[in-house]
Amino acid sequence: MFLLLILALTALCAAASEYHERLLLRPLPQNALLASFNFRSNSSQQSFDQQNFRYFPRSLGQILQHAHTKELHLRFSLGRWDAEVWGARPWHGAREGGNGVELWAWVEAESDDEANARWSTLTNALSGLFCASLNFIDSTRTIRPVMSFEPEGTHANASLQLLHGTLPHEVVCTENLTPFVKLLPCKGKAGISSLLDGHKLFDASWQAMAIDIRPVCENGECVLEIEQTVDMVLDLDRSKRPRADNPIPRPLPTEDLECDTSKPYHAEDSCYPLDKGTEPGWSLEQVFGRAIKGSCPLSTEWWGDEMMAGGKTVCINVDPERTVDVRSAKPYGEVKEGHMRCYQLPDGTDFDLELHEEVIPPIPLDQPPLHAARAITGYGQERGGVESVFTNPSLTETLEIVYLESLPWYMKPYIHTLKARLSPAAALDPIKETYYRPASDRHRGTHLELLLTIPPASTLTLSYDFEKAILRYTEYPPDPNRGFDVAAAVVRLVSGGRPEYLRTTTLLLPLPTPDFSMPYNVIILTSTVMALGFGSIFNLLVRRLVAADEVPPTPLVLALARVRGRVGAALRGLLRKGKKE
Amino acid sequence: MLLRLVLLLTAVAAVAAEHTSNWAVLVSTSRFWFNYRHMANVLSLYRTVKRLGIPDSQIILMLPDDMACNARNAFPGTVYNNADRALDLYGDNIEVDYRGYEVTVPNFIRLLTDRVGEDMPRSKRLLTDDRSNILVYMTGHGGNEFLKFQDHEEISAFDLADAFAQMWEKKRYHEILFMIDTCQANTMYSKFYSPNIIATGSSEIDESSYSHHADNDVGVAVIDRYTYYNLDFLESQVREPSSKKTLGDLFDSYDEEKIHSHPGFRYDLFPGGQDAARSRLVMDFFGNVQNVELEAAQAWNETAWREDLEQLERMIEAARRRHNDTAEVLVERPIEKPRVVGERERAAKVGVQGAWGSQIVGGAALVGCLGVWLAASWFEGK
Repeated sequence: MFLLLILALTALCAAASEYHERLLLRPLPQNALLASFNFRSNSSQQSFDQQNFRYFPRSLGQILQHAHTKELHLRFSLGRWDAEVWGARPWHGAREGGNGVELWAWVEAESDDEANARWSTLTNALSGLFCASLNFIDSTRTIRPVMSFEPEGTHANASLQLLHGTLPHEVVCTENLTPFVKLLPCKGKAGISSLLDGHKLFDASWQAMAIDIRPVCENGECVLEIEQTVDMVLDLDRSKRPRADNPIPRPLPTEDLECDTSKPYHAEDSCYPLDKGTEPGWSLEQVFGRAIKGSCPLSTEWWGDEMMAGGKTVCINVDPERTVDVRSAKPYGEVKEGHMRCYQLPDGTDFDLELHEEVIPPIPLDQPPLHAARAITGYGQERGGVESVFTNPSLTETLEIVYLESLPWYMKPYIHTLKARLSPAAALDPIKETYYRPASDRHRGTHLELLLTIPPASTLTLSYDFEKAILRYTEYPPDPNRGFDVAAAVVRLVSGGRPEYLRTTTLLLPLPTPDFSMPYNVIILTSTVMALGFGSIFNLLVRRLVAADEVPPTPLVLALARVRGRVGAALRGLLRKGKKE
Repeated sequence: MLLRLVLLLTAVAAVAAEHTSNWAVLVSTSRFWFNYRHMANVLSLYRTVKRLGIPDSQIILMLPDDMACNARNAFPGTVYNNADRALDLYGDNIEVDYRGYEVTVPNFIRLLTDRVGEDMPRSKRLLTDDRSNILVYMTGHGGNEFLKFQDHEEISAFDLADAFAQMWEKKRYHEILFMIDTCQANTMYSKFYSPNIIATGSSEIDESSYSHHADNDVGVAVIDRYTYYNLDFLESQVREPSSKKTLGDLFDSYDEEKIHSHPGFRYDLFPGGQDAARSRLVMDFFGNVQNVELEAAQAWNETAWREDLEQLERMIEAARRRHNDTAEVLVERPIEKPRVVGERERAAKVGVQGAWGSQIVGGAALVGCLGVWLAASWFEGK
């Protein structure tokens, strides 16, 4: 009876909380490999409220409860997704952030002040958990976007406020990955998370770590879902270099070079690398430094993803003809489906995939629906401009996008200079709606949100001018000459259905910086002038001026006079003698 | 019963002089790539205290710049302290508590004295008590009685001495071992005046501290001499937590020929002076203890703290009453806070259509002014 009860209880628990993980590997052109890790677990709202944590990380759960946060999105990103080579973004851009750290959350609050207080609590607590300076997200870096973000979860409560903050200068490194992996049920010891290694992740050409927490309600039953995502694009040549060996590439001996001899300039001392037209070979162990350490025993089978319905844990996106060798001591599952091959990990044994160098057509890549670029224009220390260029590659469809800029207060845009130009020129005004909140010095930054329309096969150029503020001497960071980072602009494609995002690159804004030794120069110069002035005045004040005859003769003068008198007397005596003679 | 009480009392007496927890505050104060070695210094110490048992939650690590993921680093996610590159100091498991611009003099002083905001997470606080031994290790660029933070501000020897004094007043430490590796390091501890501090530094006044060697692939010097020889001792002599090596052994291992400067020591603040300080175990500061103290047997103590609590309660009550009184005074003349209805912290929609309306209003106002002026000049002319 007791055993039955336990069984029933575990069944209940299992129904309430689940954990899934999936790894997608996709070879990209130019020897790149996209590795996309996804971990999802959930907990019923009831057990969450009672602080019964099973797969949901307790450390994060208690922060959410303390800060009254209902939905949270946290991003750590580094690098730039090269859409022209690598195609469409993973997760349609919804699981990445601007360079640095980006955080947005729906906080339950009655008033704006309360929301701000809870937001501050949240950022401080997260800074401690994730070893990042998230506490620097203060009022100057916080905005409340209007159109750019929509909650992913289901919220019954109306008094939710969306707050958004970014730290474009924040470094993402191993100390951020460590707590990230510790949130996972298998903590990097087993399952696909055993591949997560800081040495590889931070060597990637592009990487994004994301944490998304949302309440999901179905048929009146609510669960709190946490999704952790790591996407990275690895350079195969670089990753395959063994770590023990020197990672700095040394030139190959001449006889090992593979040259294109058809080039007219091919000679003994010049070599054009031969394009062999092959897909490179690699294995998990070569690329990640280790094989997958068996399945995570806590994970249940993947569910709920249209791409992977009924699929398995590790998927590789290669041509169906390509040979993929699997190394595993125990049985594993395999499913082939078009360009996708999926594997179920074996329990408690290493699992490795090996691909050989082959002449095979590369997999077709989805093309991105929009290209965006942003740059600072102008020159000088006083003014500047920002120019954003959006290209709609589609020949038929008009794109509607939301463009969100969160600018630091020391970059003051002139909104009257905001211009949107279409090329080829069209009659319509591309700016449909504008939301704007001007900056206030040292209190808040500029929030600019635009709803834009881009006709098919057109390029939209958005530009505005800004003024650079001069900071106070103490407001400069220790490395002011490096420039100041301006957060990436968020672009949301309003296409209906799933959210699609892309972020521009961050900007580096050079501000007028004083010569920091100047105050010391001033202090030294002032001190010198004061010393000189004081010295001469003091000298004048304390010196007693007397006439020359008033001075009583000193002993030396007297002695001298005596000597002179004697010598004079002697001389006179001699002279007198001479005259007499 | 009596026996147990006696046992407990003797146990209490035995542990009274000991510490019950170990903390480490490891601070690098230099930004920029060419100061790689300072980060390697501090990470070497971090690795050592972790190896000897201090958990991450009791280590406060301050790194002002990112070296591991720096674009100039040919070894991403890695920091080495030796050209043989046998040991990756950054590893897979590291928790940095203060990093980047957070490493400032005010933050450091606030950390020591625990004067922090209410939202400060626990991992960024030094939660010590009067039974905590603290290892404070600092490295960076310094001079006579100061140490630079990020080439931007300085902490003076007086600031540091006052911070330690405040820590002593607040019963925030049992004993402190202060180590510093910087130029003219010995001047930094010369102003200390609080008890129970052992201090050591790498070089005398007017003397530089030198780096040990450079790694040509990293491109810069990877460790300082003083820290290198400290580590040499800790790695080779203090291999396990049961080690009985003393601080005297550690200090005697310093070879001025090798360090190229004169390490200094300060024992006079320590009760028992030089002999007592030198006989302290290395593990008392670099390792971790988990001593538990039992206080249940001390019935007399219980009444004492109850009385204390009651007195505190009375004080709080009195303060509250005072506050209420002042609050009532304020109520008599309430200061109305200007509250703009509808002012919410949102971006406002910019209406383009409204522009014409406001232009017409502006134009009408101008015309009105012109009319008034014309009328006035007409009256004046009459």
